[in-house]
Amino acid sequence: MTLIATDVPSPSPEDDRGRQRRRRGGLAGFAVRRLLTGIGTMAFVLVFNFFLFRLLPGDPIALYTRGRNTDREQIAALRRALNKPIGEQFVNYLKNPFSSGVDSTQFSRPVWDVIGDYVWPTLVLLGTATVLSAVIGIAIGIKGGWRRGSTFDRTSTAATLTLYAMPEFWLGMVLLILFSTGVGVFPGVFPSGGTLTPGLDPWSVDGILDQAWHLCLPATTLTLAYLAEYALVMRSSLVDELGQDYLMTARAKGLMDRLVRRRHAVPNALLPTITLVFLNIGFVVSGAITVETVFSWPGLGLLSYQAIRGPDVPLLQAIFLLFSLSVVAANLVADVVVAAVDPRVRT
Amino acid sequence: MVLAAAALMLGPLVVDAQSSVPAKAKKVTFTVGIKQDIDSLNPFTGIVASAYEMYQLNYETLTDYSVKDFSAKPALAESWDTSADGLTWTYHLRAGLKWSDGQPLTARDVAYTFNRVRKGKYEQTNFGNYVAAMTSVEAPDDRTVVIKVSKPTPIMLHLYVYILPEHIWKDIDEKKVTDYTNEPTGAGIVGSGPFLVTEHKKGQFVRLRANPMYWGGRPKVDELVFRIFNNEDSLAQALRRGEIDFADDLGSNVFKSLKNAPGVTTFPAKSSGFDEIAMNTGAALDDGTPIGDGHPALKDKRVRVAIAHAVDTKTLVDRVFGGFATAGTSIIPSLYQDLHYDPGSSAYTFDPAEADRLLDAAGYKKAANGIRTMPNGRPLRFRLFGRSNSQNSQQTVQFVQGWLKDIGIDVRSKIVSEDSLTEIIGQGNFDLFEWGWVVEPDPNYQLSTFTCANRSYKDAGTVYANLSDSFYCNKAYDALFTRQSQQVDVAARAETVKAMQKMLYEDAPYVVTAYYDDLEAYRSDRFTGFQAQPSPHGSLLFQYGTHSYRTIRPVTKAAGPKAAQSPRSGLVVGGVIGGAAVLGGLVFLGLRGRRRPRSEVE
Repeated sequence: MTLIATDVPSPSPEDDRGRQRRRRGGLAGFAVRRLLTGIGTMAFVLVFNFFLFRLLPGDPIALYTRGRNTDREQIAALRRALNKPIGEQFVNYLKNPFSSGVDSTQFSRPVWDVIGDYVWPTLVLLGTATVLSAVIGIAIGIKGGWRRGSTFDRTSTAATLTLYAMPEFWLGMVLLILFSTGVGVFPGVFPSGGTLTPGLDPWSVDGILDQAWHLCLPATTLTLAYLAEYALVMRSSLVDELGQDYLMTARAKGLMDRLVRRRHAVPNALLPTITLVFLNIGFVVSGAITVETVFSWPGLGLLSYQAIRGPDVPLLQAIFLLFSLSVVAANLVADVVVAAVDPRVRT
Repeated sequence: MVLAAAALMLGPLVVDAQSSVPAKAKKVTFTVGIKQDIDSLNPFTGIVASAYEMYQLNYETLTDYSVKDFSAKPALAESWDTSADGLTWTYHLRAGLKWSDGQPLTARDVAYTFNRVRKGKYEQTNFGNYVAAMTSVEAPDDRTVVIKVSKPTPIMLHLYVYILPEHIWKDIDEKKVTDYTNEPTGAGIVGSGPFLVTEHKKGQFVRLRANPMYWGGRPKVDELVFRIFNNEDSLAQALRRGEIDFADDLGSNVFKSLKNAPGVTTFPAKSSGFDEIAMNTGAALDDGTPIGDGHPALKDKRVRVAIAHAVDTKTLVDRVFGGFATAGTSIIPSLYQDLHYDPGSSAYTFDPAEADRLLDAAGYKKAANGIRTMPNGRPLRFRLFGRSNSQNSQQTVQFVQGWLKDIGIDVRSKIVSEDSLTEIIGQGNFDLFEWGWVVEPDPNYQLSTFTCANRSYKDAGTVYANLSDSFYCNKAYDALFTRQSQQVDVAARAETVKAMQKMLYEDAPYVVTAYYDDLEAYRSDRFTGFQAQPSPHGSLLFQYGTHSYRTIRPVTKAAGPKAAQSPRSGLVVGGVIGGAAVLGGLVFLGLRGRRRPRSEVE
């Protein structure tokens, strides 16, 4: 009985140098190919985005001037600004896709300025939640998957599935009522929304602590909501690895169970999770509309909602472009990273 | 989960730490929760209600609206007089007026502001109607402003244009003003109102400080904060916790839930808004050219009156507005007592039998399928549009659909965005729709939405929407509209305005469904001294004028510290312990993994 199958790919560091070098060359080629495809996708998104918003029905100027004292000449000027010939608009758009030469109709400021105000709170909130949920979720998934059927596995799977099934806004609302308003034994210590207590300097020690304090509830909500995805994917891919021959080999070598898990099973099982993490990073920018709404978190999710409600077409167009580009970019990075750690996908 | 658990454990610590903070002489801060961000602090740019609240707090006007009944009242001008022909208005400013930076506020600033609006294209967007009739604005001396108008106009009593400091705004020319954000620097935006904006964190809050230079005396609270909430439930929670002291524009469910909250007083304020079912009375351009595909039966006043009889406004008030509204009649809400027309006994009561009788008499017979038809055989099948962003609108549409079915009118309802609806209305491609207006104390604008001239118009071959959304056109009405726009005598003008509403009520281009309340709630355990406008049932804040802000005061000498808004010491303790717990956990996990030396296992 051959225990060691020679062509079983094993990304452990014991590989010989020559093969490593060849692989690195393959990776560069792969990365360039992916980059070109990515650029192609971005170009398509850029053009599609432009025409998508030209197809929207409705009369934004009439809505904007309803209830205001504007005469026809002013309205005509507003229309002229918004309704330039399509070719001219397209050229302006290509010159600077994020500004398109027309201010946000809702904020009367360049759209890029408006987005700039809202992008940081979103990055902080979603970044924190993504990192926390990935780290905690992967840890739970590893522990549960390795001891499949154990009490920990059953409770953690049930718990994460329950959290996954909960609507985010509902979970947020429950946390808000329990830990902000305070009910019974639960202390109402967290603020009910916003990112900073009015009057504090955001860059002072107090201000930074205060912002961290404001971050607690929304970040916890999102972490809990995102947890299941990582835990379940990690768990199932680890379970897939459990029956593999190379694990039996490792055990046969006399390795400790813990080391078999850490050095052999987990690195292989991590691949789908890595893809998931990077795909989710693409959505970090687009924010979390519902949670941002519950906690009055001034992020891009909320801004996009406001822009749709307007509708603030110039702002909406820039936001959509930003969202699509970040998703395309994150996909690209995910592809390259996965290819870097797993040569099998470099095709 | 870790965070939540840490908070759970640390909760009592934090609260203790906070209550042990010695009570210092704290600034009195009155915090208002709002649902709408301030779009711009530049009064020539902003359009949302919350932005206007900032403008009127920061900048005074020549005259004010009284808190009692919206009548004209001195502000920067302590008195004014009119020439016999009503064409020359002289305003006398108060003595010793100062801008918040210490510069004197003179008649030249007033003249500068009005002339800027008169000559500036961009500046007219928000204030054009105030200066439309002005032919000259001059400041013969520091305390006198003389304004000449081409025809007498009652708007001169209510020139609600925010007077700007010339020494600041002269540097912001016609080109710069469109992009000028007027964001506060240093001591705040230079103004003359009771409060000055000192900080604006976009999407989050606006902070204002009391203006010691204010002519009416320094307000009794030191600081105002407007915090933006994107969710009504968290707004209510913040009020419960005492993070904010005032909330308005609440939904009826949230409002009811606050009724028994300790320290909170709920107040259903009468507001100046109404909702209506509007009808396409015959869409046409301002020159009379018909447009759109509105149902011809709605041109018949008898059909419209039958519909008015079939809409049960009482049920709408109870079921859609949760009882927090008044059944509507004419287009000036009953809040404006002096202007509102009450049809009294001639009101269109809910009476489906009467509606049936009217339609039968007018020759709209029921076909076999129960749907009435026009004499030419076309069935009475109407499209009714509701608005996707309003729950109330969609519920109203459902009710109306049912009621009209009862009288043999088939209604197809369609829910669209306000943006799409604006376009549909402008093109005349509708039969009925549900929407509403908020009516200003000066009725001119609202009345103008029914003039022939304000129907849609054509520009370079394209049809554009104008203010009229029912396409009502009546020469007699237009004549009265012109008359009221030149009546300076308040009582005489009110008579004209009522006659116009009577005309509209009888012709029924609208079925006004409800005058809804503005549901407000505030911390009565912390603040008192609110003034309702109009007294005693009107709004407590977001008024025409800054009345309540000037008179609110803490209930006790120093309003108690707000609950856990900035638990600094608690926060430090919590942060340190929480951080230590997380680190400890990580170290523990790490150690567990490396308990044994490598050599032992390999």
